[in-house]
Amino acid sequence: MQNPYVPIPVEVSKIITEVDTKDIKTFRLSFINKADEENFKYLPGQFAELSVFGKGESPIGIASSPTQKGYIEFTVQKAGQVTTFLHEMEEGTHMGVRGPLGNSWPIEFLEGKNIVVVGGGFAFTTLRSLINYMIHGDNRKRFGDITVIYGARTPGLLIYKDELEEWGKRKDLNLNVTVDKADSTWKGREGFVPTVCKEVAPSSDNAVAVICGPPIMIRFTLPVFFDLKFSKENILTSLEMRMKCGIGKCGRCNVGSKYVCKDGPVFSLAELDKLTKEY
Amino acid sequence: MEKLLVKKNELAGIAEKIAGETNLYAPVKDEDNVLFTLLKGTKCELEGYKNTKNAPKGFFFPRSETLMRYKRTDKGMELADVVNESGPAVLFGVRPCDARSFALLDMLFDQESYRDPYYIDKRNNTTVVALACVHPPYSTCFCTSVGGSPASTDGVDVMLTDLGDAYLAEFLTDKGAKLAKYFGSVKADAASDTKKSELAASAAKEIKSAVPAKEIKKFLDENFEHPFWETLHKKCLACGTCTFLCPTCHCFDIQDEVKDADGKRLRNWDSCMFPLFTKETSGHNPRPSQKERWRQRVMHKFRYYVDNFNAIACVGCGRCVMYCPVNMDIRKIVEDISKL
Repeated sequence: MQNPYVPIPVEVSKIITEVDTKDIKTFRLSFINKADEENFKYLPGQFAELSVFGKGESPIGIASSPTQKGYIEFTVQKAGQVTTFLHEMEEGTHMGVRGPLGNSWPIEFLEGKNIVVVGGGFAFTTLRSLINYMIHGDNRKRFGDITVIYGARTPGLLIYKDELEEWGKRKDLNLNVTVDKADSTWKGREGFVPTVCKEVAPSSDNAVAVICGPPIMIRFTLPVFFDLKFSKENILTSLEMRMKCGIGKCGRCNVGSKYVCKDGPVFSLAELDKLTKEY
Repeated sequence: MEKLLVKKNELAGIAEKIAGETNLYAPVKDEDNVLFTLLKGTKCELEGYKNTKNAPKGFFFPRSETLMRYKRTDKGMELADVVNESGPAVLFGVRPCDARSFALLDMLFDQESYRDPYYIDKRNNTTVVALACVHPPYSTCFCTSVGGSPASTDGVDVMLTDLGDAYLAEFLTDKGAKLAKYFGSVKADAASDTKKSELAASAAKEIKSAVPAKEIKKFLDENFEHPFWETLHKKCLACGTCTFLCPTCHCFDIQDEVKDADGKRLRNWDSCMFPLFTKETSGHNPRPSQKERWRQRVMHKFRYYVDNFNAIACVGCGRCVMYCPVNMDIRKIVEDISKL
């Protein structure tokens, strides 16, 4: 019987500081045993428990795409004990990863459709995984038009800046990056994500919107998509809750009878409507 | 299925004999409490035994359990050892309600999607010898309201029934059959079966508490928001006694402990009654007050578990009713909900 509580040993092979406030970093983890790498089969939208000695575990969405071979990446904000420890680590550190956990963005459901990805702030990590998965040479044909709307409070708080630049050059991806408040260096768009969504006005025709961000952004973005005639079945999001086991046993991350860790974290708005309002 | 008859005065001796060969836990009086205790050269006294203060769930899901050990290395950490301590054991004299809790916990811990090796190994290694309630021991017993009965065999390997002049021993599983050799060779006759059925029926009738536990599901399905939830929790102290004593409460926390270069990861019982249970690092708590926590407790037992496993996560043992320091009574809560 496989033991779902035992973490897989990994080495921190690269650390990237993403934002000018230095409290969001991306950790690239390489598997110490080759066999573990082959067994770690995941899809965009899944998460894993990052496991550090003496501190415990923290559930974090996988920010890399399965099309990136040889490593997995997690973008982590410094917040509690585990994440603070992670932020103090150096490259070469050995730690653990438990996963992949949870469901994923429903790739089969998304296939053949136009995809609108909307992200706010630091909640862009599994969306980045999804984008990189869809635009990979092996996969791009499986999806229709891809529109990305991504915003942060300031230019310095945008994550994955190098990738944003590369994506901006692509013809097969409509990228719209915005900041709430521009500074003197910013040449791009200024405005809140919901406003930009209204301006970009993606068609709901054969389209699915995948939306992640802070609650306030979600609250004002959803009406825009309802106005654009997106059905609740075609609006997807990912939930977060305090978690421990990640496998639906320890009993704290439930919303109604569903466990965010096991039955989620990805839900459509139609599915969320059926659950209790406890998130 | 083998059925044997054992003389009344022989049962304690049988338990002691098994205890000589394997770890056997039986109810033992300890000051004011009766607790499942390892019999080691001690006498097994079942005379006057009602039920143990603690539910026996701790044998499969210990209050604190080491999952694995780590070592600190120059490079960070490395897994030293996955701990899964389990050996053959017999639980002797478990009441049918508590035995049923094992069957209910199996649904979760032995779920197809993720199987819990710590729990499952202990379950596989342990034989449950239950003692039917020919007279329900407490006025707070309500097993018949939640799918059980004083003679329920769910989760039981060997069932003992006090027929008055002898004990009927029924060996219900392969695991149970391995203990048959300790129980002598007097085959039970058809009359003992009839007697047992009569006793089971009369015991069920003796249970005075009847609550509409199944019937409230529809209300719970439709009323996550309801003024009732505002009234329920106000006297609750959030002490967690109810979840601690509950045979089916299974929520846990995972914590690390370190001493020098050695660390271990533990899982400890946790409780939905505690504010920290769902409090997130940001400070946000989706269950900010005792109201939401009580709603969760009622919903989990009488709605969510039914949705997920088609069973109420309560065995009607009455421990939470007996030991709540402010006299909260789950039976009354169910009753009140049924009248809404």
